[in-house]
Amino acid sequence: MSRRRIVALFRRVVSEIRRDRPSLALLFIAPIVITGLVTFILRESQAPQVTAVVVNLAGPRGLAVGNALEAALRTDGATVSDVADEAAARAAIGDKAASVGIVLRPAVASGGSLDVTVITNGLDPSGDVGQVSAIQRSILAAATAATGTAIPAVHHTTVYGTPTDDPVTTFAPAIVAFFAYFFVYILTGVSFLRERTGGTLERLMATPVTRGEVVLGYTLGFGLFATIQVAVLLLWALGSVHVGALGPLPAFSIGLGIAASGSPILAFLVVVLLAVGAVSLGIFLSTFARTELQIIQFIPIVLAPQFLLSGVLFPVSSLPSILQPLVAIMPLNYAVDGLRQVFIRGADLGVPALQLDLAVLGIVAAFFATIAALTIRRDVV
Amino acid sequence: MALHAEPGLDGAGPPPAIRAHGLVKSFGTLRAVDDVTFDLAPGRIYGLLGPNGSGKTTLIRLLTGLTVPTAGWAEVLGTRMPSRPNLGRIGYMTQTDGVYTALTVAENLRFFGAVYGVDGGEPVEHALGIVDLADRRSSIVGTLSGGQRRRLSLACALIHRPPVLFLDEPTVGVDPLLRVQFWAHFRALTDAGTTIVVSSHVMDEADRCDELLFVRSGTIIARGTGQEIRVQAGTADLEQAFLRLGGNVEVTR
Repeated sequence: MSRRRIVALFRRVVSEIRRDRPSLALLFIAPIVITGLVTFILRESQAPQVTAVVVNLAGPRGLAVGNALEAALRTDGATVSDVADEAAARAAIGDKAASVGIVLRPAVASGGSLDVTVITNGLDPSGDVGQVSAIQRSILAAATAATGTAIPAVHHTTVYGTPTDDPVTTFAPAIVAFFAYFFVYILTGVSFLRERTGGTLERLMATPVTRGEVVLGYTLGFGLFATIQVAVLLLWALGSVHVGALGPLPAFSIGLGIAASGSPILAFLVVVLLAVGAVSLGIFLSTFARTELQIIQFIPIVLAPQFLLSGVLFPVSSLPSILQPLVAIMPLNYAVDGLRQVFIRGADLGVPALQLDLAVLGIVAAFFATIAALTIRRDVV
Repeated sequence: MALHAEPGLDGAGPPPAIRAHGLVKSFGTLRAVDDVTFDLAPGRIYGLLGPNGSGKTTLIRLLTGLTVPTAGWAEVLGTRMPSRPNLGRIGYMTQTDGVYTALTVAENLRFFGAVYGVDGGEPVEHALGIVDLADRRSSIVGTLSGGQRRRLSLACALIHRPPVLFLDEPTVGVDPLLRVQFWAHFRALTDAGTTIVVSSHVMDEADRCDELLFVRSGTIIARGTGQEIRVQAGTADLEQAFLRLGGNVEVTR
């Protein structure tokens, strides 16, 4: 052990990192920003904003419970209105005019009690759970007070899909979208950085090739692998192949077997559009990186906020209202919503919400392709 | 006719292949290229000689239109640069190898051929023959030696048989035998009408050029044949001549 050599190595590492501004920024700023954002989300997450529609099908007794319920909900800050029947309630929740519906019926079994059905949208299962728990206390209190004795049975149903105990249903669309985005970005960013630093981009720029041709060629090349990746990922997520017991091996199944009611082709389209945007994002960000390490360093800055603000981990509806404008500009948010429309709602191309998601993803891909093309001729000094 | 005569200016000779007029490129306060003006005749080899950091590469990038001048202009084959279509008539061998290391030798050549609009096996075979890499055509570039990569880099610049060729330190890492072959090939190209600009900081290659341009601190401090420059500097050694001429410029400033 030579003290001199160790000190020399130590000093080399320190001087190298000291001059690497992006790494320094990452080392100090990124953890503060990310932990700050997470803390802010956790602390300031709003109690879900409840907009309730109440349907009374239980006559005078239901009216009494309904009035007590509406009063209790209003006390908790909810907006409450009455609608005539369950169909009207479902329509209002379906187009997001209301967040939750409460249907009061006479209980079939016991004459003295009421039967309460809570209806939620269903596209955002973890957001729905928040809605249900927010109103459950009011329902129980009101019903118990109004009827005197019996605690009503509360059922939960959704406009789209069916409420499920499988926690994967909530996360599957988000996770499929996020990982497709993540890996395509890494692949393209690192490859294009090599093109920039290896001198091949310089040489390519000395040929009659245009920037648009470069971006399109890259998009096609990486798009091919992104497409295959997405296909494999969707097969894995949606498929389930049962394998019978083989000798000492017990029976098992391959694939996550996540229930999806819509067309896998549409889900595929959503993720491919997202991935094409990730190709251009990789090309664009490679402008600001000098080393492959720096491509990795953009992950906490560029991808982590998308992860936090696109309903992957926290339901978008519960995010602090000050963050909602940011949510609206996160490309991943539209992919997650698009996949939920397909997986849970079984949406087809005629559904306006899915059309919006696809349109936004297409525009984002085109936007990043344009700015990626603009960065390519940048003077290399 | 004196070798340093500037054809085209008297209306008798062919028009210059490459022209620079008042070219300036600044990076902040640094003037990497500082008011460079010259005409280069077709079918000749011009040596751009100067120490590291004297502005040779920036000058080549200005001439190829890869960077935009702060002032002045550059013209290649009568077309003002930067001009994308004109790049199809220019070959550029970069200082870094600029080849794809995960592809084979032949795949690199086919790729650059396609980018230049040259298809088919013949141009690839021709280029492989020039740089003597025919037996390595299927090798992955990452497995080649430094000199072999340099040869492939040259082949990629020649694949579309351009009338104007810029070679940025082409013989770095190339063994002496192959260096002789390179220069023989450069000569064959100029005999067929190609104009070549070679940058180098190795003076022993200078005498193979038809004419030399000495570059120092972004300016051309001397121009002429090797012999003319020796006479001008009063020394028998080009290296000495470069130092003396560079020194003179410092004094007269």
